[in-house]
Amino acid sequence: MKKVLSIFLALVMVVLCFAACGKDDANKDDGKKSDFLVGAVYINSQNDTAGYTFAHHNGITKAMEQLGLPKENLRIVDNIPEDTQQVSEAIDKLANQGCKIIFGISFGYIEAFAEAAEKPEYADILFSHATGYKSNDKNFNNYFGRIYQARYLAGIAAGLKSLELGNNNLGYVAAWGTEYAETCSGINAFAMGAQSVNPNAVVHVNKISTWGDEAKEKAAAEALINTYKCCVIAQHCDSAQPQLVATDGKVFGCGYNSDMTAQAPTAHLTAPVWHWDVYYKLAIDTAMNDPENFMSKVGIYYGGLKEGFVDISPLSENCTAETKAIIEKVKAMMVGGEWDVFSNVQLSIAKDGTITKTTAALKDNKGAEVISADGNTYFAYNKDTGALEAVDGGKDACDGVIKGSMNYYVAGVQEG
Amino acid sequence: MAAEYAIELRNINKSFGSVAANKNINLKVRQGEILALLGENGSGKTTLMNMLSGIYKPDSGEILVDGKIVSVNSPEDAKKLGIGMVHQHFKLVDIFSAADNIWLGAEETTDKSAKGKLSQIFLRNKRFTEIEKTAEKFGFQIDAKKLVKNMSVSEKQTLEIIKVLYYGAKTIILDEPTAVLTVQEIEKLFEILRKMKAQGHSVIIISHKLNEVLAISDRVAILRKGEYIGTVNTSETDELQLTELMMGKKADLNIRRSKVEKKQPLLEIRDLTVKNDEGAVAIDHVNFYVRGGEMLGVAGIAGCGQKELCEAMAGLRKIESGRMIHEGESIVGLPPQKIIEKGISMSFIPEDRLGMGLAPSLSITDNMILKKYKQNHLNPFVDRKTARKDAQEVIAELEVVTPSTEIPVRRLSGGNVQKVLLGREIKADPNVLITAYPVRGLDIHSSYTIYNILDDLKQKGVGILFVGEDLDVLMALCDKIMVLCHGKIMGVVHANKTTKEQLGLMMTGALDLTESDNGKPVGIAKDSNIKEGVQ
Amino acid sequence: MSKVKDPFVRIVKRDKIHPLLKVLFYCIAILAALTVGGVLLIAIGVNPLVLYKDMFTIGMLGSRFAYKSVEGLITIFVPLLITSLALSLSFKMRFWNIGGEGQFIIGALAAATVALKFGESMSSFSLLLLMFLSAMLAAGIFGGFVALLNVRFKTNETLMTLMLNYIALYLLRFFGETQAPWNFYLSDESVRPVFQKFAETAYMPTISIGKFSLNISFLFAVAICVGVYFYLKKTKHGYEISVVGDSANTAKYAGMNVKKIIVRTMFFSAALIGLAGGFYVSGAKVLSTSVTNNVGWTGIIVAWLSKLNTFAIFGVSLLISIMQYGAQAASTQFPIIDSNFADLLQGIILFFVLAADFFIRFKLVFRKSAKKQGGKAA
Repeated sequence: MKKVLSIFLALVMVVLCFAACGKDDANKDDGKKSDFLVGAVYINSQNDTAGYTFAHHNGITKAMEQLGLPKENLRIVDNIPEDTQQVSEAIDKLANQGCKIIFGISFGYIEAFAEAAEKPEYADILFSHATGYKSNDKNFNNYFGRIYQARYLAGIAAGLKSLELGNNNLGYVAAWGTEYAETCSGINAFAMGAQSVNPNAVVHVNKISTWGDEAKEKAAAEALINTYKCCVIAQHCDSAQPQLVATDGKVFGCGYNSDMTAQAPTAHLTAPVWHWDVYYKLAIDTAMNDPENFMSKVGIYYGGLKEGFVDISPLSENCTAETKAIIEKVKAMMVGGEWDVFSNVQLSIAKDGTITKTTAALKDNKGAEVISADGNTYFAYNKDTGALEAVDGGKDACDGVIKGSMNYYVAGVQEG
Repeated sequence: MAAEYAIELRNINKSFGSVAANKNINLKVRQGEILALLGENGSGKTTLMNMLSGIYKPDSGEILVDGKIVSVNSPEDAKKLGIGMVHQHFKLVDIFSAADNIWLGAEETTDKSAKGKLSQIFLRNKRFTEIEKTAEKFGFQIDAKKLVKNMSVSEKQTLEIIKVLYYGAKTIILDEPTAVLTVQEIEKLFEILRKMKAQGHSVIIISHKLNEVLAISDRVAILRKGEYIGTVNTSETDELQLTELMMGKKADLNIRRSKVEKKQPLLEIRDLTVKNDEGAVAIDHVNFYVRGGEMLGVAGIAGCGQKELCEAMAGLRKIESGRMIHEGESIVGLPPQKIIEKGISMSFIPEDRLGMGLAPSLSITDNMILKKYKQNHLNPFVDRKTARKDAQEVIAELEVVTPSTEIPVRRLSGGNVQKVLLGREIKADPNVLITAYPVRGLDIHSSYTIYNILDDLKQKGVGILFVGEDLDVLMALCDKIMVLCHGKIMGVVHANKTTKEQLGLMMTGALDLTESDNGKPVGIAKDSNIKEGVQ
Repeated sequence: MSKVKDPFVRIVKRDKIHPLLKVLFYCIAILAALTVGGVLLIAIGVNPLVLYKDMFTIGMLGSRFAYKSVEGLITIFVPLLITSLALSLSFKMRFWNIGGEGQFIIGALAAATVALKFGESMSSFSLLLLMFLSAMLAAGIFGGFVALLNVRFKTNETLMTLMLNYIALYLLRFFGETQAPWNFYLSDESVRPVFQKFAETAYMPTISIGKFSLNISFLFAVAICVGVYFYLKKTKHGYEISVVGDSANTAKYAGMNVKKIIVRTMFFSAALIGLAGGFYVSGAKVLSTSVTNNVGWTGIIVAWLSKLNTFAIFGVSLLISIMQYGAQAASTQFPIIDSNFADLLQGIILFFVLAADFFIRFKLVFRKSAKKQGGKAA
């Protein structure tokens, strides 16, 4: 017994020595001027090497690096499910640490973030919630991006490929369909992009009803190739499975979230991607230097191609030089604010790159008008009655529809 | 094999916590003798033998086998040294055949060739004949293919003995082997032991039954309260001397039987038929009655319906047909609780002592209240105060050896467990007491305590049904004896007018007195409470 | 005769152990676990002292909102405590209820149903009362049903409760993900399916002590702890539970209605877990699919580590809650430590505590010491 005890005590001593050394090193590092702390609540592990949490973590750390903040100043609580109580506790922990701005990356955190922002003791902390729709006018905003713009560009690449192959069938593996404006607007933008170069293009949507399930993603992509003989497989889901299926099926594809050319070099065309660091840099910078004006300077953030918040990955070698030129041109129009996807103006682009604008009402695949010809009225289906109704707000309703109420497919989209 | 002693124990000490179970014990076992190890419950007999067979390790002291100092760390070691022990609780696998139970622990073959090793892996049919051959060598009859769960207690014991012999034991230790056997079976066992002795085996038999010790052993070693008292030659001693050595004082070996005036029949059983767990008829159209102030003994070979009869009367077993009338009221179909409330108390000591009647992990106090915790329905709390008082009284009256009333019952030695159980039944102040094997496994002193308690109850007018196994005790203690054979009554005789031989014949079914009794129906009281024709 | 050698080390059961020594063993175990964890932490470049300090003070030191840490601790401690207590009821009866997760969910779901259906139309007091009663009733029936099948048809309760966990979980997910006009569980505001927040009347009241607000459920949990103690130790029901758990045969012999006791106890066990679920959602103000936070599983560990002793359950569940909360609070400072590492650390501590438990019950005897003993005697 004595022997065991003495060995154990020796071990403790060794550890304490090490610990003491470790402490010295840590102190040296702490000489930095900035003590501004950033907090983040993640849905998955901060040590992930791919996926949604990884993309955000990357964005935050990149932004902090650019702002000269040390890594240690990022405080994280990770693996937090979408449970209001657990998210609230995570926020408390970050507030305890002294974080001045707290990011929540998952949609289901919305209630906890809204509640925390209202607490008087947290009045000097900024809360920023990704993909949500709630905010206040003091210290709570939400942020998201015009990914549909990037999808339109990817649609052009896919449309040109279909012309080249003489096959009008395009496939789209979607997490959800018209249930979510986010997926729905993405599908529509992709279809409209494809139709701008190939008016006969048809987008077949295969819905898997979950945000991430590799097996289902794979099966859905295979079904699209086998049933509709699709020549391009686009996707709105987490993994690269659809692109791998496209490779096996000797067809082409558009990925999502990251440049999937590495995974599918022979199939991949381009992928709509996010540059989260663009937002995080803006948000952290403002929170650090001008927190009083955070809501006026950053506010409800909805960045697009213009801000560099969304983009498409570099076109792969599977695309032609003409494709590149056309996409550059359209992108410039959107960056310059000259034109946007969901409006009463549709583009038709000839092979030589000539762009013709047509002003007309936008119709859904049932033939109903969803954007009026004058561009001043936006429509959406009423969830309960199923009737098409005008969305309040006239022309200003545009972003709201794209973010929240769009629940129809444009002409040329087929689900199932 | 020149050593005079097969086994020699020198200065053995063993303590459990603060309790010294064995103090400085010296014991010698000669080659080819039957040594009886005699002592009361808790005198340290089993502990000592467990050290010899490798289950415990002595705190200090030496063990010599054939004159050489050895160390026995496990039953495996003991096996290698030629020591085999047959425990009180059999260590057999129920769903295996006799042969497979032996095969399970068989020594590795000396045949180191590939074929030899291979034969180790596969179960060969040869094992059945091999084992039967070993059995025959010692004069046993055994069906090697019979499953243990289908065996009687006696058969299981035989199997245990064959097992240790098959493993090559030279010295065989038997822990209270007769506790579970009938008179006839005991005789058979002794035959076997003598045969083993003749073949040069040494036998140590643990017992507290004087008559058996005197009948079988060559020498008797006596332990008392963990200490070695001495060894005497069986031929030079008698019951009185042994009792004195064992208990440390003189003892009266007469069982008291008080004369009590006859009273009304308290419990009358008519035409009772009960089935056992397997669905076979266990009690077959039985009639009997118990009067207040009368002790009715029940004799019978083990397993001929005693358990089912007791359970039926306690409301624990469904009755196929018949009537049970207690003080003129039927108790058929009543739940156990109601029967307890009527003052009918049943205590059945099963072979493992703990199976029914006690909750082993609960304290003595908690066990004391088991049957009456529900009294006073309005109070949701258990009345432990009274229970503790009862427990203290039982401990004092029945001399239960325990550090306190709050000790879990399973920590007590077998005899003490039984005293607690019986003590509770008596405390319940019953008017009918059904008690089965109340002295099973108890030493002389404890047994006499219990006989006297039962007799006291009888004097108070309690009707007692005493299911027993020792015919001498039944004849000395009971007023009448009812003999069961295969669930049928062979007759009811007056205890002081019968003989052991007559009872033995009735138990085996060779003698049936029910028909020869001048047409007077057996088991039906003249002054019955049951009016004929009224169902 | 073959010569038999003493084995190098033997495991010997201890007869008795001094209570102080017991405490010492547990302390050594925790220290040893922290040492092992410390080595791992140093290996990945984290100062273990800083991490441990924050872990065991649940991040309260130098914090602006120290009282929030206590509030947070209580929100995870209360459900764990009640669930572990409830499980100890059925475990004491040797009835293996591993359906804590499912019963918790059913309780939460029932309370949420009441809160969402009647939240606007009832006073806070009567609404909360109705929520908790229905949580207990629903979970009690959910669990009692298993006991009923067990006594009627001898079904295996372990399998049944286990499978019902998944049924409850997927039922909850179904309500959480299915957007339909009938689905009142979901929020109307959001386009994505999210659970509807309760009306304010359904919030668990709190008592303000300065800045700190004490959730009333904590007081209830302490009361339940004392109640369970008295129930098991003093009442006739508690007595029946221990007899049935010890020997069902003996219970029958004593005239107990064993079937009734099993069903009743399981009903109480499940109902208490359901109540914990009700408390939790009332505090969280909204449902979620991860509402249980694994208390149904952790509760089993707590119950066994505590040897089903009611007050030990209080201590052990507090300790585990502190570890859970503290590990997360402490790890926020270190980018390299994610919640998986915090779980790992908890696992190491549990492992060592179980090892200590072994050494409390058994001791190792080495050959040398055995020889010494023999020598002395000779």
